Amino acid sequence: MAEQGMLEQMRADLPRALAKPPEQRRWGMIVDIEKCIGCHACTVACKAENKTPRGVDYRFVKTAEDGKYPDVQHYYMPNLCMQCDDAPCVKACKDGSVTKGVDGVVRIDYKKNSGDPHVTAACPYGAMSTDEGEYYTEGTPQREAYEDAATFEYGQKADRKGKIGKNRKCHYCMHRVDAGMLPACVTTCIGEANYFGDLNDPKSLVAQKAKNKGLYVFKADQGTKPITRYLGADAYSCAKCHE
Amino acid sequence: MKKIAKQEIADQAEVIDEKGVSRRGFLKCGAFLGGSLLVTSQMEWALGMVAKAEAGMLAPGDAYELAKAESIIYGACLQCHTACTIKGKILNGVLVKIDGNPYSAMNMTPHLDYKTDPQEAAKVDGHLCPKGQAGIQSLYDPYRIVKVLKRAGKRGENKWEVVSFDQAVSEIVNGGKLFMHVSGEKSRVVKGLKETYALRDSKVAKAMAADAKAVGKKKMSVADFKAKYAQHLDTLIDPNHPDLGPKNNKFVIQNGRIEHGRKEFSKRWLKDSFGSVNWYEHTSICEQSHHIGYNEMTRKWKDGKWGKGKHHMKPDIYNSKYILYFGTGAFEANFGPTNLARKVTKGLSEGTLKIAVADPRFSKTAAKAQQWLPLKPGTDAALAYGMIRWIIDNKRYDAQYLTAANKAAANAVKETTWSNASHLVKVEKDGPGALLRADEAGVGAQDEFVAMVAGKPAAVNPNDDKIAVVGDLVFSGEVNGIKVKSVFTLLTEMARSKLVAKWGEECGIAETDIARAAKDFTSFGKQAVAELYRGPVQHTNGYYNAQAVILLNVLIGNADWKGGLQAGGGHWHEDGTKKGPYNIKKLYADKVKSFGVTLTREKHKYEDSTLFSGYPAKRCWYPFSGNVYQEIIPSAAMGYPYTIDALMIHKGSPALTTPGANKNIEILQDLKKIPLLFASDIVIGETSMYADYIFPDTAIWERWGTPHATPDLLTAVSKVRQPMVQAMTETVEVFGVKQPMGMEALLLAIAERLNLPNHGKDGFGKDQPLERSDDWFIRMTANLAQGDKPDTQVPAASKEEQEIYAKAHKHLSGYAYDPQRWRKILGDDMFMRTITVLNRGGRFEDDEHAYKGDKVHHQYKGPFNLYAEKVAMAKHPGTGKNFSGLALAEPILDFHGKEVVDAGYDMTLITYKDIVGGQSRTIGNYWAQGRELAENYILMNSQDAKKLGIKDGGQAKILSASNKVGM
Repeated sequence: MAEQGMLEQMRADLPRALAKPPEQRRWGMIVDIEKCIGCHACTVACKAENKTPRGVDYRFVKTAEDGKYPDVQHYYMPNLCMQCDDAPCVKACKDGSVTKGVDGVVRIDYKKNSGDPHVTAACPYGAMSTDEGEYYTEGTPQREAYEDAATFEYGQKADRKGKIGKNRKCHYCMHRVDAGMLPACVTTCIGEANYFGDLNDPKSLVAQKAKNKGLYVFKADQGTKPITRYLGADAYSCAKCHE
Repeated sequence: MKKIAKQEIADQAEVIDEKGVSRRGFLKCGAFLGGSLLVTSQMEWALGMVAKAEAGMLAPGDAYELAKAESIIYGACLQCHTACTIKGKILNGVLVKIDGNPYSAMNMTPHLDYKTDPQEAAKVDGHLCPKGQAGIQSLYDPYRIVKVLKRAGKRGENKWEVVSFDQAVSEIVNGGKLFMHVSGEKSRVVKGLKETYALRDSKVAKAMAADAKAVGKKKMSVADFKAKYAQHLDTLIDPNHPDLGPKNNKFVIQNGRIEHGRKEFSKRWLKDSFGSVNWYEHTSICEQSHHIGYNEMTRKWKDGKWGKGKHHMKPDIYNSKYILYFGTGAFEANFGPTNLARKVTKGLSEGTLKIAVADPRFSKTAAKAQQWLPLKPGTDAALAYGMIRWIIDNKRYDAQYLTAANKAAANAVKETTWSNASHLVKVEKDGPGALLRADEAGVGAQDEFVAMVAGKPAAVNPNDDKIAVVGDLVFSGEVNGIKVKSVFTLLTEMARSKLVAKWGEECGIAETDIARAAKDFTSFGKQAVAELYRGPVQHTNGYYNAQAVILLNVLIGNADWKGGLQAGGGHWHEDGTKKGPYNIKKLYADKVKSFGVTLTREKHKYEDSTLFSGYPAKRCWYPFSGNVYQEIIPSAAMGYPYTIDALMIHKGSPALTTPGANKNIEILQDLKKIPLLFASDIVIGETSMYADYIFPDTAIWERWGTPHATPDLLTAVSKVRQPMVQAMTETVEVFGVKQPMGMEALLLAIAERLNLPNHGKDGFGKDQPLERSDDWFIRMTANLAQGDKPDTQVPAASKEEQEIYAKAHKHLSGYAYDPQRWRKILGDDMFMRTITVLNRGGRFEDDEHAYKGDKVHHQYKGPFNLYAEKVAMAKHPGTGKNFSGLALAEPILDFHGKEVVDAGYDMTLITYKDIVGGQSRTIGNYWAQGRELAENYILMNSQDAKKLGIKDGGQAKILSASNKVGM
């Protein structure tokens, strides 16, 4: 099997994008519903990578049932930040901490951010959370060190403290991408359901997938213009999870 | 029923600490992780990190320390038994992230070449399932215990005192009035292991073993045996039944999810040093009949005897065009989702693969299938026979393949495997019996079989690669006056004993659906596979179900072909039995021969024992099985074949995982039936809570291991689990060497006190120590570095790689990182090669070796016994009737051969493994379990629920024929 695997192909796409000035990049993710098996590995990998507490899930997978026995179906639909071009969270943010980056990624500046609940509420996708300061191991024999361990979100090595009380959401693991690595949800996904890379680079795998006419835009009627889109399912089946 | 969570057990625990202060609950108790000093220091580090991090910001990309090889230690998971290769990322001594190992075929396709620079590999994360990702929360489980707990109340009362490791080991070894402080046990004397360790002379043991076997087979009389060993009769369980073996057998080790490495270490301890035959692991409650199905169907005929077979075969998924899953899938459980899922989703998304799923439950895999066959639980053989009938009636089998009666005939038609479809079976009064031998037919020798060739009998040497025998598939008649039928004829008769529709009625699948599956299965030549795992086999008829499903594959002759059934790339032999420098099968100071009937009567024939007294036997015997986990505790309770003195339970939870677990719990609480009970566990678990002592074990990310590869991988994979972080359990001294408490330290300490051979300073032979776990595992790793063939060593680590190794391990010491000791054991050159293996978490064959032309590279190249003669010749210990050589579609039967019909209970409850769950191991994984309900739940068809008036999320009471009180 001499051909390059999907992960390595996408990783090889990254240096081309990183060599360009940020404003010429357009990071994007396309999730293939047909390949999503509903295993939740992305959710857990994301939580481990970003040490998100209970109540903060940058990425989560919805499941829906359809049909009548024995002609039944299950759909699995990962949710994450849509990195909207017309992002309701950016509009709702009064302190200027939630901004749309020139490379397409919506970022949160934790130093400026005040954790405004309106920002969390503004997201029609449920992708924005507020870190309420919970710890999974609070109230057990010991609050475990890993929950306080440093993460590298937005390229800053920082522990949990500076994130408590803040708005939090998926940032396409830009700290990994800057290091030439794919986002944690993409690498861990055992169904290889995620395509990630620079949509402005026609050679990249994600750009090739973006050409697909059947891409599903989640809540297109909201006019948020999401970058994150879905492949491999029609509006009918997607709506099953989104109802 | 509410989940018995560790938290609840810990909440209710009452522990007296070392200062004699009694504390209710866990919060301030030093026995739990919360009191461990090491972790407290990690906590300080974490808090200190805040200050450092706030001080400044590094450049983008550079800041990401987890992308550097110095932050990485590769190892192996064990959140489920797939034991995936993993990549641990460590920040200041804390394991903060786990990913898939890109060097391994388990986690990526194609995986990185073995020569890839670790700095480059650091940037590549392989795939990993949610359980593996959540491993951090099993490692840093606040409910882990770090000190020895001794029961301070009745068994199961959950009252404990913290005692020193030395005291606990000493009490177990020496026995005495150990529980005087517990009411009702004031005068109870517990027998110590030193008494159970009765037979100590290895020469006597060896001689007695052979003669005891002869007594069982009635080749020596009991009286002669007693006369010959008059001086040693006191070492036996029962001198009138010498085939039960020595008293040593009364110490039993019941392991759950033990893995290669620890498995051999522990077996060598119990069987080859202590001299007890009673070492068990979990497989019978997992999927063992599937192994036995494959084993019996692939046994090789050698020197007039049936030799060993393969235990496990899997589809070459990337090239399969059609896979029919029986009671399993690619996205949950099986063996296992990390390595299987991407292969299936790729084929589905590219339109090259179609899948179908036969499973009572609509699984995640069924959700992606073109056909779901919701069969009745345990009726897989009926479904398979419905398909077989359709395939035979429509002549959709590969006749060319099936007529090849031996290797030469197979090779002549470009096949690497062959079957006994054309071999003749003697038809006795009570049905098919042995295969006809060539001497009986007057055409050849006693160790040859017979096939009809163009209507005339011909001798068949199945392994002959020179003279091809192409047999007639269909034959029924007499040869040399003996009534015979060809195996294929027997199969055809069996399949045609019912109409397809009737087979369908038995399994609950419509005739048209069976026909569709059969047609699809036979529409892609060799690139179709019928795959099975736990679903079909975890019933009393599991073996036959497995055999029937494997039969489907043989009908299309798909083995070894690209896209067909294949046996996997295998592994290098870490035990050194090929060319390794440390062959553990030979490295003994004084090997003891353990002997006697096993407590579970496994691997023994009822007819070959002095306990034989007609049918039915008192309890079942298992001539073809090993590790009959669910029989251990009940057999001890019944005292059949003998009572026991002591039981050690390690990394397993029979109170959670065995059928009839409630009865097991009752027995575990019975001081007469299990006089001494100790556990090696990482928490106070559902089973260890009944123990007399709980010895804390190391978690898998803290310890060593050498798990084996899964057979879906086409290239060779040898995994090395190595400590990623220092163990948190208390440090103890054994053989004068400091080490963390854990299973290995416990067995070593008992060995030290009992003066067992093969452990300690000269454990592997003169000046070859086995004093700490790393003494074992560094040698195993060196064996992998050496390879199985001459001149196949891995390269020695370069200077850069040596530096990476040292930096990545700088937070470790002692058993986890002791380069000086290891260099001394292995020598300079071998140590450097071993570093190469450790820097990659094992040894992995490059992807280019996956295929050879239109076949897989690593080929099975062996026979398929459609008719399993060895099985056909054995008797069922309950009914006294012979088993069947051909797969049967039989209902679920009890020991007396009666169908289990629970009148009045028309629903069947089955279990399955959720993707985020791994039995008792994953319950503390908040990240993965977050979406689970706090209460146990039951899934049912909405139509059934409607009928019963049960709503989603509602409560229900469940009753069964064996539990009328319900729960």
